[in-house]
Amino acid sequence: MTGPSTDRLDRRSLLAALGAGGLGATAGCVHRARNAVNRDGPEQLSLTITTVPADVDQVSIRIANDLQANLAAVGIEASIDPLSVEEFFRATLVNHDFDLFVGHHPGDDDPDFLYESLHSVFASEPGWQNPYGFTNMAFDTLLERQRRIGGEARRTTIGEILEALAAEQPFVPLCVPTEHRLLRTDRFEGWNDDLLASRLGYLGLEQVEGAEGPNDRLRALVTDARSTVNLNPLSAEYYDQSTYIDLLYDSLATADGDGFRPWLAESWEWEGRTVTVRLRPDLSFHDGESLTADDVAFTYRFLDDTTLGDEESIEAPAPRYQGQVTAVEEVIATDDRTVEIEVSTGREVGERALAVPILPEHVWRERAEEVEIAGISISQGTTEAVVTDNIPPVGSGPFAFVERTERESLELARFEDHFSLREDAGASGGDVEGEGDDDGENGNETPPTGAERRESGPTPAPTVAELGTRVEPSSPSTIESMGNGDGDVTVTPIEPHTIGDVEEREGLALRDTSSRAFYQVGFNVRNAPFGNPYFRRTVARLLDKAWIARDVFYGHADPVATPLPEGWEQHDGDDRNEEASDEWVPESLRWDGEDPEVPFFGEDGDLDAEAARAEFEEIGFQYNDQGDLLMGE
Amino acid sequence: MSVLGRVLLEVSIGVSIMIAVATAVVVGRQRLVVTLREFTDRLRDVAPTAAVLTVVLLFNGIARQVVPELSWIINQNVGFVNLNLTWVIYDLEGEFLVWLQSFANPTFTSYFSFIYIYGYIFLLVFPVVAYFALPNSRPLRELLAAYTLNYVLGLICYVVIIAYGPRNMMPELVQGLLFDTYPRYQYLTRQVNRNTNVFPSLHTSLSVTVALLAYRSRAVYPRWHPVAFTLAVSVVLSTMYLGIHWATDVVAGIVLAWLCVVLASRLVGRWSPVGYLRDHFRDRGWLGSRPPEP
Repeated sequence: MTGPSTDRLDRRSLLAALGAGGLGATAGCVHRARNAVNRDGPEQLSLTITTVPADVDQVSIRIANDLQANLAAVGIEASIDPLSVEEFFRATLVNHDFDLFVGHHPGDDDPDFLYESLHSVFASEPGWQNPYGFTNMAFDTLLERQRRIGGEARRTTIGEILEALAAEQPFVPLCVPTEHRLLRTDRFEGWNDDLLASRLGYLGLEQVEGAEGPNDRLRALVTDARSTVNLNPLSAEYYDQSTYIDLLYDSLATADGDGFRPWLAESWEWEGRTVTVRLRPDLSFHDGESLTADDVAFTYRFLDDTTLGDEESIEAPAPRYQGQVTAVEEVIATDDRTVEIEVSTGREVGERALAVPILPEHVWRERAEEVEIAGISISQGTTEAVVTDNIPPVGSGPFAFVERTERESLELARFEDHFSLREDAGASGGDVEGEGDDDGENGNETPPTGAERRESGPTPAPTVAELGTRVEPSSPSTIESMGNGDGDVTVTPIEPHTIGDVEEREGLALRDTSSRAFYQVGFNVRNAPFGNPYFRRTVARLLDKAWIARDVFYGHADPVATPLPEGWEQHDGDDRNEEASDEWVPESLRWDGEDPEVPFFGEDGDLDAEAARAEFEEIGFQYNDQGDLLMGE
Repeated sequence: MSVLGRVLLEVSIGVSIMIAVATAVVVGRQRLVVTLREFTDRLRDVAPTAAVLTVVLLFNGIARQVVPELSWIINQNVGFVNLNLTWVIYDLEGEFLVWLQSFANPTFTSYFSFIYIYGYIFLLVFPVVAYFALPNSRPLRELLAAYTLNYVLGLICYVVIIAYGPRNMMPELVQGLLFDTYPRYQYLTRQVNRNTNVFPSLHTSLSVTVALLAYRSRAVYPRWHPVAFTLAVSVVLSTMYLGIHWATDVVAGIVLAWLCVVLASRLVGRWSPVGYLRDHFRDRGWLGSRPPEP
């Protein structure tokens, strides 16, 4: 028999033992569960494709749709985020707030644009410079090297960069479109088809005598309303294509074909790494103030840091022209008409720096202030200069601003004081051969010290008194307006899907411009999994560039493996060797029916999803039972 | 003349003819004679309601210019607001639009393009004429109040919500429809619409508003009711067929229409802008000391 006390004790100890054991067991369970829960499990990879809606660009949204479908087919959840064109550039270029984007790149006059597009020093700067956030030491070395050298050596280095680029795929170059524009040949003569994206395309036109329609007035049509909203040459959101900035502002030199011709500069002379630029006499801005060497020096300093070295702020480089500006070490105005520009690069790249728009110091100096809007916090280094709409713009260009109606029209008038309208304009040139002439006599890799560049031939001038621009709702309506005789030229290229609707007739011509612009899928390399080059390469192989060129562009584009179009030749190349081609794109990267580096999985736009999935597994990704591609958090 | 001017002229002539015919058939000579006699009295009755609508339309015209920028600021910068609905809607019903487009043919395209521009304007303007021809001003005041509410509530949605329509997401699907075939109409539509404003469909809500009120007035206008109903359905279908609106926008438009009609019938007669002003300002002596109306 057991006494009540022992009984009680036993029960107590039993309970205690049970309690302890139970708690112990529970604790073990919790630990295990905690370990399991805190191991971030893989989840389906989910991405957003940022692009613009069809009203802005049909091609981009169609490529985005195709990419979205193909990503879904390989088990990656993708959504499309169409943004208005301003918001698109703000998200991708300024805020770097994207996974991957489909968009248009304006291209450039020199392959050196790859430097600002990919060098790691720009990875965190807002603007057109390195939106991908790509960083790679070996790459940087090559990018810097091509800046210092010229001739064949530079071409070889560019070739190496393009090959490294094709291997790494920080962005996927898709196609180089052929730009089509409509123009009236019965109203104006002297059209230069190849320059219609730049200022030279709208200069030197001669009105046909007795032509129908308004006299001495060029009527331009655009579908991109941004030029009626903002005319700030520094703005990344508004100027992927700078025709109007080119007409309102002048630069020291202007791109003409494969080289640069003197513009505000009367001539320039190289000595070592310093180029001495002699300005034309009596230059002035649209507001009557004179344009001097001080304005030139100010421009380079301002583009380098729009706070002008304000110590209370952080450095705020302009969102554009960084390739050009970083090539410049120092600019000194030695007198009113002379500037000495010391560059850190070779001459080929150094001359490119002469193509930035010259800003009036008296207008822009006060824009170095940081923006303040009551009640809203604005990120440091946001100066007035990058956010102003700059209306009215005060430039020195061939046309001056008159008025605009937002999203409807823009009126410009010939700037009567423009240097190109003077009787002696262009007369100073002709006696000295330009280095850029492809006459084969100038084959030295480094031109002789002191070589002087002067223009040959007359300078094209603004020949029409008025340049009126009207915003058209769409490409089809632009074609209709041109057909009705309501326009003289379409500044915005006609969209590929509507080119077939154009009925050419006497006096109305459809002209194509071989452009250096390209379409791309850009990756945000800052975000996983785009930091992984194998992943980028495999995503690149989900894009059928040949199909895109044929079906989305209706054949008005060429598929490319590099961001430089095939057939683009180096203008200062070594012409003595007739055998070797001067093309920038190396033979290994030329299109031969399929992409030489990242061929499409499948054909004719139809994806071989099995092959693509196998490749994702091959590079280390896993699929769950539902076929979702998994991504560890 | 500008393209917009030509299009406006073309459309106003077309719609005027339609209204003239409909007035002859639906309203009838008798009513018109009486209306002409009582013209000023009737005008005085509806003037306050019409004035409110006019103010809202004018404000709307100005606001539409800034709404897109405002929407982007809200949606991109205010952390908890993300009403960029394009993808959500596209993901939900992209297939439906593909199915709908499988019926596309030139006859439908011509019909729906006509309905989208001419039919819609006629549907909105004709009831104003028809109800004005009634001795009782209430139907007209309800109609104008419902229009006002549609615009006010629609504008609020447009500020908060960003959504692009099907034609902006699937351009290849709607190629050759309204704006490709008749690009000139885009001069007209861009005066009133911005492309981020598709949710809800105001084409739908205003058309359905008219149809609902036509049903209410079927006793006085038995011929108008079936016409209004057919036109409203056509307008609704046209917005989807032409790739301008998603089905989601249309559903939201129908809900908005119903809400506006209900609200309008409650407000009209109970709350009047003139009465409000009088009550507020008479005490302060601003409106003189007119005796209150009976």
